Amino acid sequence: MEFLALVYGDPDSWESLSDDERSEAYEGYVAVSRDAQAAGALVDANELESTAAATSVRVRNGDALVTDGPYAEVKESLGGYYLFSCDTIEDAIGWAAKIPAAWTGGAIEIRLVHVDEAEAAA
Amino acid sequence: MKYALLVYSDQSSWERLSEEEAVSAREESMPRWIALFDEFGKADPNVQGRELSAARDAKVVRVVDGETIVTDGPFAETKEQLGGLFVTDLPDLDEAIRIAALVPAAAYGTLEIRPLTVR
Repeated sequence: MEFLALVYGDPDSWESLSDDERSEAYEGYVAVSRDAQAAGALVDANELESTAAATSVRVRNGDALVTDGPYAEVKESLGGYYLFSCDTIEDAIGWAAKIPAAWTGGAIEIRLVHVDEAEAAA
Repeated sequence: MKYALLVYSDQSSWERLSEEEAVSAREESMPRWIALFDEFGKADPNVQGRELSAARDAKVVRVVDGETIVTDGPFAETKEQLGGLFVTDLPDLDEAIRIAALVPAAAYGTLEIRPLTVR
């Protein structure tokens, strides 16, 4: 099964870290990728540019409405994700707990990836 | 340039539909999904997409004083929830906007485009 681990954190607190603290935290993110990859549990991982670089698109009555910024203004925003391949959600929780945001005031949301059963059987 | 296209929509509106209504809504949106994948096929055949199970089945993980705390439900209690995402390599933001507008959920939800960080 695939589990998407969404990394939520407060970008302001990230900005307030010293360069050393930031590179240490960054090392922690890289370590999760490396360890999960070594365990055969990593499908993909990506860091997102800050929500300041976000663009939102809505189509209403056939017109595309484009606005700068994220879909919702929240203090703790989505900063990246890991896509894990695990047998159980407990395994995914284990990986999530190693992600630095989990213990630096942020949180990791775990979502099961939907499998189209007809497609999976084909 | 690599982008994440995050698909946000109000999932409860889907859940309020009867099974029949949901099936016909899916059938109705099928040509739009096919049109989207046609465009992806031309713009970025290597696009990656994932659809997520309902946000109410989400778990949130935090570690406090070395202890892992797991709570049920999504992290943010917003009306619209992340329902899926695409990761795609496109020439520029204009092209990302054009493709995002073709995602069927753009017509009732929001597509958020976020560039991926390259280190």
